[in-house]
Amino acid sequence: MSTVTMTSATTSTAAAAIDQTATARWERNVPVYGFPVVNGLFLGLSALVLIAFVLSGYRELAGLGPVSGMNDAYGWGIWKTFNLMVLTALGSGAFAVGIAAWVFRRKRLHSLMRMALLTSFLAYACGLLLLGIDAGRPWNFYWIVFPWRWNMHSPLAEVAICMSIYAMIPLAVENIPPVLERLWYFDSRLRPGVESIEKRLHYFFPWIIAAAYLLPGMHQSSLGALMLLAGERVHPLWQTPWLPVLYLGAATFMSFGCVAGTTMLCCLVWKRAMDMEVLDEAARITSWLIFGWMGLRLLDILFRGALGTAFHFDRFAAVFWLEMVLISIGGLLLCRSLRSHDSQPMFVGYILSSLGGMIYRFSPTTLAFRPNPQALYFPATIEVLVSLGFISLGIVGFLIAVKRFAILPAPLSEWHDMASYFRFRRPYIRWTGYFKYGHFGEDETEASGSD
Amino acid sequence: MSITRRQLFSGIAKAGVPAVVAVTVGTDVLQAGEHIPVPSAAVGLLYDASVCIGCKACVAACAEANDTPPDTRGDALHQAPEDLNDLTRNVIKLYKSEDGSVFSFVKRQCMHCLDPACAAGCPFQALHKDPESGIVKWDADKCIGCRYCTITCPYHIPRFQWMGFNPRVTKCELCKDRLAKGLKPGCTSVCPTGAVIFGPRSVLLLDAKQRIQKSPGRYYQNRVYGEIDNGGTQALYLSKVPFEDLGLPELGPESVPAKTLRWQRRFYQYFALPALLYAGLVQVIRKSLKGHEEEAHQREKETGLRAQL
Repeated sequence: MSTVTMTSATTSTAAAAIDQTATARWERNVPVYGFPVVNGLFLGLSALVLIAFVLSGYRELAGLGPVSGMNDAYGWGIWKTFNLMVLTALGSGAFAVGIAAWVFRRKRLHSLMRMALLTSFLAYACGLLLLGIDAGRPWNFYWIVFPWRWNMHSPLAEVAICMSIYAMIPLAVENIPPVLERLWYFDSRLRPGVESIEKRLHYFFPWIIAAAYLLPGMHQSSLGALMLLAGERVHPLWQTPWLPVLYLGAATFMSFGCVAGTTMLCCLVWKRAMDMEVLDEAARITSWLIFGWMGLRLLDILFRGALGTAFHFDRFAAVFWLEMVLISIGGLLLCRSLRSHDSQPMFVGYILSSLGGMIYRFSPTTLAFRPNPQALYFPATIEVLVSLGFISLGIVGFLIAVKRFAILPAPLSEWHDMASYFRFRRPYIRWTGYFKYGHFGEDETEASGSD
Repeated sequence: MSITRRQLFSGIAKAGVPAVVAVTVGTDVLQAGEHIPVPSAAVGLLYDASVCIGCKACVAACAEANDTPPDTRGDALHQAPEDLNDLTRNVIKLYKSEDGSVFSFVKRQCMHCLDPACAAGCPFQALHKDPESGIVKWDADKCIGCRYCTITCPYHIPRFQWMGFNPRVTKCELCKDRLAKGLKPGCTSVCPTGAVIFGPRSVLLLDAKQRIQKSPGRYYQNRVYGEIDNGGTQALYLSKVPFEDLGLPELGPESVPAKTLRWQRRFYQYFALPALLYAGLVQVIRKSLKGHEEEAHQREKETGLRAQL
């Protein structure tokens, strides 16, 4: 990238300051500054992570029986069905928001892309780590490097292989630019190297980004195809040949909810201005996705003649109605927020619809899975602790990343505020990188004079 | 005549689309009409529930033949497992009707399906069907312990070992080591009434049909379970009571994988459709990336701040 000039920057500072009073526009990703990384929440979550690591060590020695509620009938517990199946749906933002931004060219959504990529990477990485702990014989995973040994028609092979490749290559590579950017600002001696890496990265970007949409499309639908083989043991309200499509559809609206909702939450917590234009666009797409998905789901139930079972007085019907009510109220709130440009119903709408989606994704494997009438599954304490620990790992990673890298979108003024914050109020923090060189394009001699 | 690079690529693309459509649509035609082939030397079991006296000699013999310690976890004395588990490949269960007038024993072990759902789902082919004998075998060196087989098997046969750091999947492998030595499987070698017999599948099928012919009306629906059920199995069942009561679900003549993974198999045939989608995506994203980069550089000039891509 070319270096920047100083004169134009100072004028835009003033312009941005005026801008902010009128309507906030997200123009730049800015790290969260002025808040320490280590605080009570961070320490609490780290403790959970530590506990989970110790317990998973115990699991490796003792086996799955002593640490979990899994049994012969319910071979899969929450590690797979919640941490992997549900949370990677929330973490499909890089897929859903990415396709909207890059393939359908919803340009405003580009400001949410870094949030989407980060949340996706963390959700997938934590899910896959836990998958390694959940697998009984993880040392045999090395077969993954021999493609002729794959059973390409197996949905689980598709999921395991595709997910690992996706998280390790396209998703990881897409998350490199914020890191490189930070190195660029950190030390001027690194700049030529960083710039040459960026150039090479940009050359490969079309192939990497395209893989980042193809692979999740494949494995998020294959996650649904997993339960096809279980046949009638999955309750008819859920078991359908359309499971792959519905799983993928749920992942799209849930991940929009996760990305936009998390961004809004961050804006509230760290007092950032919200760009209602971007959020409206995201909410509009989400509401369309939600109603399209609900339509498909209801039509499918209707045509298969399974609607009657929704009116039985049992737990399956209860779960079904809970899911339906949550998603539809969420969708309606999103529609209302589009009319009033109000962020509050939008936020609640995202939360409710995502919760409903989570229940949907959780059902076929667990809530609506009936291997036999006597079978019961309830997660054991250790199982829940490990599951929570790996969720905390993702949140800890998120808290570090947003405070150290330019992830969260903000108005342009925020960037200049950050620069002056580090120049004048925290000049002794040398390692943040963002203050020292290059905000205003000055060279090192000038910058070193200021601290 | 020379062709440019562009022409070459567009030519490949134009030829690729119909090729992919043909592969994706054509796959199903091949598989639907196809009869699931019976392995050349398919062996199997024939279990006649009406002859079984429930002595459980086969349960003990099975454990012995497989070098498994007897499962005495129930009362620490008797080898009386309630169901298949990590020490039990073969179990005798009792079905009793609600009023107690009708009862039947049933021997449960792997059905060795002609198109096994466990092998269809197994990610690295740890569970695989032997191409000659048709025995569904488990390979410890390939199993990652995902337990998908315990979910996919319509008969709920494979069991996972829940204790210990080196868990195994337990299922009947038709005593493949004994067969190699010229011996019969453990269960068939001890059965006092001949309720379970071992042999080539075709011979057993003939035998079963003769039994039905000899005493019509004795067997439920005058039918051999496993002849066509779930695409055909190599363990065949005869019974007086409905098969569903014995835990053998009515799955229809089409195998579970063929029924449920039809679209999955179509879409991933030779990886054609994903490859085409990928090529299309790359083209679209190339164009958007160009526009996006231009905009970013434009903004860089306006704001004086380094572009963020």
